[in-house]
Amino acid sequence: MKVYQCDQCEYASVSNKYRCPSCGTGNLQEQDVSSKGTVYSYTDIHIAPAEFAHLAPYTVALIQLDESKAKVTVRTDGNVQIGDVAELDYVEDGAYIYRKC
Amino acid sequence: MTNVYIEGIGMTKFGKFVDKSMKQLLVEASIEALENAGNPKVDAVFVGNFMGGSIGNQEILGALVANELGLGYIPTAKVEGACASGGIALRQGIMGILSGEYDTVLIAGVEKMKHASTADVTQAINAAMDNDSNEKQAGLTFPGFFGVLANRYFYETDATKEHLAMIALKNRENALHNPLAQFQKPTTMEEIMEARIITSPLGLFDCSPTTDGAAALVITRKKGAIHIRSSAQSSGPTQMQDADDLLSLPAVRESGRLAYEKAGVGPEDIDVVEIHDCFSMTEMLAIEELGFFNKREGWLAVEQGRTTATGDKPVNTSGGLLSRGHPIGATGVAQMYQLVQQLRGTAPNQVEHARLALAQNLGGTGSYSTVHILERL
Repeated sequence: MKVYQCDQCEYASVSNKYRCPSCGTGNLQEQDVSSKGTVYSYTDIHIAPAEFAHLAPYTVALIQLDESKAKVTVRTDGNVQIGDVAELDYVEDGAYIYRKC
Repeated sequence: MTNVYIEGIGMTKFGKFVDKSMKQLLVEASIEALENAGNPKVDAVFVGNFMGGSIGNQEILGALVANELGLGYIPTAKVEGACASGGIALRQGIMGILSGEYDTVLIAGVEKMKHASTADVTQAINAAMDNDSNEKQAGLTFPGFFGVLANRYFYETDATKEHLAMIALKNRENALHNPLAQFQKPTTMEEIMEARIITSPLGLFDCSPTTDGAAALVITRKKGAIHIRSSAQSSGPTQMQDADDLLSLPAVRESGRLAYEKAGVGPEDIDVVEIHDCFSMTEMLAIEELGFFNKREGWLAVEQGRTTATGDKPVNTSGGLLSRGHPIGATGVAQMYQLVQQLRGTAPNQVEHARLALAQNLGGTGSYSTVHILERL
């Protein structure tokens, strides 16, 4: 999992930015970290936009990564609860698909 | 402090209008606002609209209004800021007057959504997410974003789904007295709690509907009874995964802070509030972010009835987005329609002696927020 860590403060994100939005002065440096993390929150989506309607109901979760301050939004394979430990299973059409460990 | 005043207001009924075009709704609300203002000369038009192009194939809304109303060859523009399009259109008009360029500006907001399927509307609304992100590709939706927030809120506090239902019920009860509101059928806690799930834990009554409708305002530098004491706008993270604190909406917090600072008042001074309750959970977070209640304690205020029309901090006396309806581009303007009525003493669910009023309009998953503070002189 690629994350972008500020070289001046604690800010980290899974998406790169021109400069750190938190301290406004630092630059973000690319890092490779483990995909493993903990479910910070989630929702089971029953009503989906046209492009995802064939998947509904499906679960989208926000994962707090173990090795970074960054969080990442993923789709999970099956239901999850806050506190569940999960990791990347595969990447599909630009989406991270996670499964419980 | 601004030197801008609201002179006239207009609004169509909100609901489903298959026989009316977007232009007809816009013109209807605009004429009412002009008549209400005594038909002044208008120097510019700003129209708030989000999906006229994507699901209605209709743009050039500013020029349409100027032409249909015979306003002359004045400058006009459509303003897009997702669900905050109306609030940002108002702010652009205010900035135009503050700059000295215009004396009087017509602000309108409109959306026509009911002709499209739910899947198509959800898809069009998703244009307000970052297409180029793993988050959108994961299948996150707008309701989904607030579902994720709600589950975390329940985890960190003693709030439950019942507290969200209390918000939905309050706004429905307010709408029952608002003849322009979309939903005027009474409901119960049981019906709200048992309604089908849209995105857990949010059910049907926790989500604002699709709506056709328009609203309009005439604002001017000529001194009048309703003073726009301050106008503020902020941006926030465009992705949920970039939130520093998931239970915070920084755009709401910052636009509120700026609006209070410019107006020289605090949350304790505000008599009546219209908040962007696109979801019941959004109202919960916004009452905290605007400083009416402590962080993570909004649910207690809801439980105590403090945000009802007769509470000490009445929120969404119009019925809010949940029950007045949410024609996206019109919403920020419709909030002002209700607050001007409150300050004139002619509102549905009138708050006694209301003098200071606040409106907060949100766009995207916290991407945009405007706050306007009005004062009765």
